[in-house]
Amino acid sequence: MRAVSAPTTSEQARSAGRTRTGAKRSERRAAYLFVLPLVAIFAGFYLWPAFNTAASSFFRWGLLQPWKVTTPGQWDFVGVHNYAATLSDPDFWTAAVNTLLWLVVFPLLVTGFSLLISILIWYTSLGRGFFRTVFVLPMTISLAATGVIWSFVYNPDPDVGVLNAFLKLTHLNFSVHWGPIRFQTGEWLSNLGVIHLGFADLRLTNLSLIVPAVWAFAGFGVITFTAGLTSVSHDLVEAARVDGARARDLVRYVLLPALRRPLVIVLVISVIFALRVFDIVFVMTQGGPAQDTQVLALLLWQQAFAFIDSPQGGLAAALAVLMSLTLIVGGYPYLRALTRRSPR
Amino acid sequence: MSALGRNRGGAIVLYGSLSALSLAWLVPVATAFMISVLPLEQTHNGWWNFHLGELTYRNYVRAWHQGLSSYVANSFVITIGAVALTLVAGLLASYAFARLTFRLKHFSYFLLITTMIVPVQIILIPLLPWFRTLGLQSGPRQYLGIILVHTAFGAGWAVFMLSSFIADIPDELFEAAQVDGASQLDLFRRIVVRLSLPGIVSFAIIDFIFVWNDLLLALTLLDRDHQPLTVGLANLQSPHLAQEDIVSAGAMMAILPPLLLFAFLNRFYVRGLFAGGVKG
Repeated sequence: MRAVSAPTTSEQARSAGRTRTGAKRSERRAAYLFVLPLVAIFAGFYLWPAFNTAASSFFRWGLLQPWKVTTPGQWDFVGVHNYAATLSDPDFWTAAVNTLLWLVVFPLLVTGFSLLISILIWYTSLGRGFFRTVFVLPMTISLAATGVIWSFVYNPDPDVGVLNAFLKLTHLNFSVHWGPIRFQTGEWLSNLGVIHLGFADLRLTNLSLIVPAVWAFAGFGVITFTAGLTSVSHDLVEAARVDGARARDLVRYVLLPALRRPLVIVLVISVIFALRVFDIVFVMTQGGPAQDTQVLALLLWQQAFAFIDSPQGGLAAALAVLMSLTLIVGGYPYLRALTRRSPR
Repeated sequence: MSALGRNRGGAIVLYGSLSALSLAWLVPVATAFMISVLPLEQTHNGWWNFHLGELTYRNYVRAWHQGLSSYVANSFVITIGAVALTLVAGLLASYAFARLTFRLKHFSYFLLITTMIVPVQIILIPLLPWFRTLGLQSGPRQYLGIILVHTAFGAGWAVFMLSSFIADIPDELFEAAQVDGASQLDLFRRIVVRLSLPGIVSFAIIDFIFVWNDLLLALTLLDRDHQPLTVGLANLQSPHLAQEDIVSAGAMMAILPPLLLFAFLNRFYVRGLFAGGVKG
């Protein structure tokens, strides 16, 4: 459109204005039609159930007779009792401690491994595509299949399980009992050891579940870091080399600054992943032995669905609300960052 | 030639450590694959002691006949249905989010985006009664039910990724078409669908992998005859049953479709993943 236009009569200006607001209105109407299908599905199968979960967490009910908005006559209001009961349940704290272990160890291992791998790959000149493929492909494997695959690897019989066979061959299998720490190789999925902290026991068997998850998830880190590293020019590194910079300085002053943003992304996404972890625990140990590898997501599922005849629906709902609130509050800065990028 | 690659010692350390890591990364899949192509008795003496003559595809045939065929079919029905619906509804909505103005736009965008971090557990518990109310709890209608839930939960990703692709389309194209009298639907069909094709493909792949790999929703919402392969694997997996041959064959079948899709369309996928992630 021309910036400078010929003077127009007020008549013309008014009619132009009218069509512009008319266009605006029809654009808005079109916009509603465009978003309608998605928003309708979203409201019906996300917002509505989420509202139901939140509301039903204040009532006592079981899955045989679920809480319903439409039947106020059957409501058994218990206030915040479900929340209080959840927070005073030892099973909840066992699961919370294990989930916390996931929250700390998983992001660290994912970040450490994928950072190391992507920097190594960045240095290579041959076989780059091959290496990247090897580390990225497990990303496409479901966590259910990952659990199955790693159960084979972990088989305690050194004639069957490849990990124990390897340790036997290299004489690396050992057990230590050192102060509050007990650790032994061999029975990866039933008894890897424990750290007594006084107020809580850290069950090391959780590590046997974290490792497969890291294996499956590291590819995401490799992709993210590799994308960050493409902005680092090999010429710059070469120039630094000529000036006598050591490899360690290169990593510190050239690579890490380029990786700050990918680092945040990988950490945030892996923390979210760790708090929601369910599949791998369900397939590999079902939270056992005893409650050693129980996590919040699995505890919730068991409360809601494994014992249908007990009125634990409200407890499970309270747990779901607590988990979601933790993620929304903790992840709010991340969500804000995503929405700030929102188009227009 | 990179800095480290230039001196010989550095190159040996570099390629040595990368090869060791690669090997460690490949062992789990190799284990599952070898167990799936060896007779069960041989597996119990260590799959690494195999002889070439023992390799067999019989485990796959048996697994297929012992129920995996229906799990695989269910996986495809659910995944293709969910990806198609999410893509159509998501692309329509993304056009509005990227190029049109309407009320509550930012608020609804924020709500959609929350699905990227909120755990699926927040909707899981009331879904079964809700399905009963809607008549989606039995027979093939269960497919529709879980497809709708997957669509609702994929909505955030869809709008996030697809609208960033649509926003990259030059304004001039839309303006020129509008001068020619094109309606919004024309703009969508002629410009958006065609020019955001890389975005569509990469989102379809990501969503395919996501839905194909879902365990929790399927486990909770579907009955035995409509469960996908992930649930099938969880059902088969039990340390007390000596059926590693069947389980491993099932695991390989579960791995293959997303892997092939990814391998063929690697380029699209990576680009799509970073449309929103890293750049910007």
